[in-house]
Amino acid sequence: MTDPLIARLKLLIVETLKLDDVRPEDIPDDEPLFGSPRFGLDSIDALELVVRLEKEFGVKIGSSEESRLALASVNALAAFIRSHASTA
Amino acid sequence: MHPPTETPPIGVAACACLTPFGDAPATVAALLADRRALALTPVLGRDGGDAVPLALLSPMDETLPPRWLPDLHSLALHLPAAPWGHARTPVVVTSSNFGVGSLYAFTRDHDTRHLAHGTPFATVDFLRREFGWGEHVTVFSHACVTAHLGLLHATRLLHAGLADRVLVFSFDFVSPFVAGGFHSLKILNGTFPAPYAARETGAIGLGDGAAFAVLTRDATPFRLEAQSLHNEMAHFTANRPDGAGFDTCAVALAHAARGRRVWVKGHGTGTLEAGRIEATAFARHFPAAPLVSWKGSLGHTLGSCGLVELALALAALSAPAPKIPGTVGTTGPCFTDTVALAPFAADTFDAAVLASNAFGGAHAALLLTHA
Amino acid sequence: MLERFIHHLRVELPPDDETADAARIRLREKFPRQAVRRMTHLGLLVGSALDGLALGPDDALVYASTFAETCALEDFLTSFPAASPLLFQTSIHPSAVQQVLIGRQQPLARLWPLAGRARLVEQALLTALLETSPRVALVGGEERGTWMLAHAMASPRSFAFAALLTPDPTYALGRLSFTPENPAPPAAPCPSLEIFAQALATHQSLAWRGAGGTWVLSWS
Repeated sequence: MTDPLIARLKLLIVETLKLDDVRPEDIPDDEPLFGSPRFGLDSIDALELVVRLEKEFGVKIGSSEESRLALASVNALAAFIRSHASTA
Repeated sequence: MHPPTETPPIGVAACACLTPFGDAPATVAALLADRRALALTPVLGRDGGDAVPLALLSPMDETLPPRWLPDLHSLALHLPAAPWGHARTPVVVTSSNFGVGSLYAFTRDHDTRHLAHGTPFATVDFLRREFGWGEHVTVFSHACVTAHLGLLHATRLLHAGLADRVLVFSFDFVSPFVAGGFHSLKILNGTFPAPYAARETGAIGLGDGAAFAVLTRDATPFRLEAQSLHNEMAHFTANRPDGAGFDTCAVALAHAARGRRVWVKGHGTGTLEAGRIEATAFARHFPAAPLVSWKGSLGHTLGSCGLVELALALAALSAPAPKIPGTVGTTGPCFTDTVALAPFAADTFDAAVLASNAFGGAHAALLLTHA
Repeated sequence: MLERFIHHLRVELPPDDETADAARIRLREKFPRQAVRRMTHLGLLVGSALDGLALGPDDALVYASTFAETCALEDFLTSFPAASPLLFQTSIHPSAVQQVLIGRQQPLARLWPLAGRARLVEQALLTALLETSPRVALVGGEERGTWMLAHAMASPRSFAFAALLTPDPTYALGRLSFTPENPAPPAAPCPSLEIFAQALATHQSLAWRGAGGTWVLSWS
């Protein structure tokens, strides 16, 4: 059964980063999101996603180093939100 | 093959700057005393937000007239008298942000008077009227290497015989627009910058800065011996990890500096990866050169940093017992052993490499020599 | 006298009502798929104008725009207090050229982004003529604004141009020259960036006085 948080995060990734030809279900749970050639997402995309996540889940990511760790994969992101969020 | 640099040398007839510590000599004195101009300030000014390190000449919420106007007038008092902006004495204005703070202010209070300063051309036209400059005013804007572009363009105008003296005028004042932007990149955060420090979290500060230089073909005590530019075009906010971008300018100036005893003023904003790559590149090409950055005290003055920091270097070198300020705000360990944390005597050196970098992997550097 | 010859000329003059999304659909085949989603209208037009012009690490590029990334600026201001890092990055001059060249991973010897208005064209031309690189790309453009246009802080039209300037007259499309005069003649109005783009598109000759001399744009 799909984790609703994971599903929501994948939808947010597609919407926020305007990945028009990517379906949310195509995004893997445990592979690197950023820096891999599969989706062409880079650090700017990561930061743009952070803004959206901070708004939606009430988390706070303080530095670029922290964002790199939190956004290592969808699973890593879900774990970060669960441990930090006020609205997850 | 060495990438091309601009030669022959060009003279610096005058150079001055303004920072929150005051003029160039006062700022150098503050740096030598290890003082920090940065203070934790709400990132959005009166709109609040996280506290981030900023070095401001005045509160950053834009005013009418703009808050930077009295400061620029104060700086302009020191301009050598000349018909600036006329054909033989043109002006080159360099800035990254111009009056964008006024644009932000308009979106907050809807006072249309802010819009008179909201675009680069409107800001420069306003300054032309304030300072009585003629119409020969060229405007460059290339983020944090902008001042270097102004210096190189001025050099080319002089060597082509198209001008007798050129005024390069540079300024950048922090606004919520700019602070908010860097805060969104997560590099302007609650931590004070420590340029070239090998630590876990990188951070920058932002600062207000303004400066000018008058360049001439005449002989002067200090000269810009060589200048080099390069654009990596690898990523908007990151450098090539192999350091090739930094190497390009460093190699060019190392060639020009052969036989000289050099110290290096790097870009050194306090970010980790760029700081590491930059320090490593300079250590590679100038292994005996102490490396400093002053942004740990003054913050990053963005488009004006190249000229502000040139003015500071010249002020330090012109003092009776010249000492070069160390890297204020940084304690070890550092990325390389060449990082100078403390001030050092200038008398064993006869040249300096002054470098700046910008978004998009833009690099700029110049070789400053004593005549 | 300073002169260079025009090779590779391309001008984008889209309809006034073309949006960024419409330009993205029209031009997307010219750009890497993963890059085009983040490109601005100006970036797309500049990229289309540069299409077919191969640049190298020893080349220079002069880029002129009065208003630059107007829509990114508008949208970035709207994004506060949760400022968008992508829009911040995109709003900074010379973003349009960087969008294209970073997409290509194409380093340059020097990039000269100019701002300004009344005499922007001749300032850009002088920068190009003083360049030491044999090959200089002369690029310019604007994108149509929305609320900033209502305050005369944006261009009413979107356009872009790119020309390659070299010292070689062989097979050149046209010629740009500047002849300094001493004493400097009184300046005449300088063509606007839009007028210059139209002159490039229609191979219209231009001549005016400014920057202490005489400018001539002529065609083969």
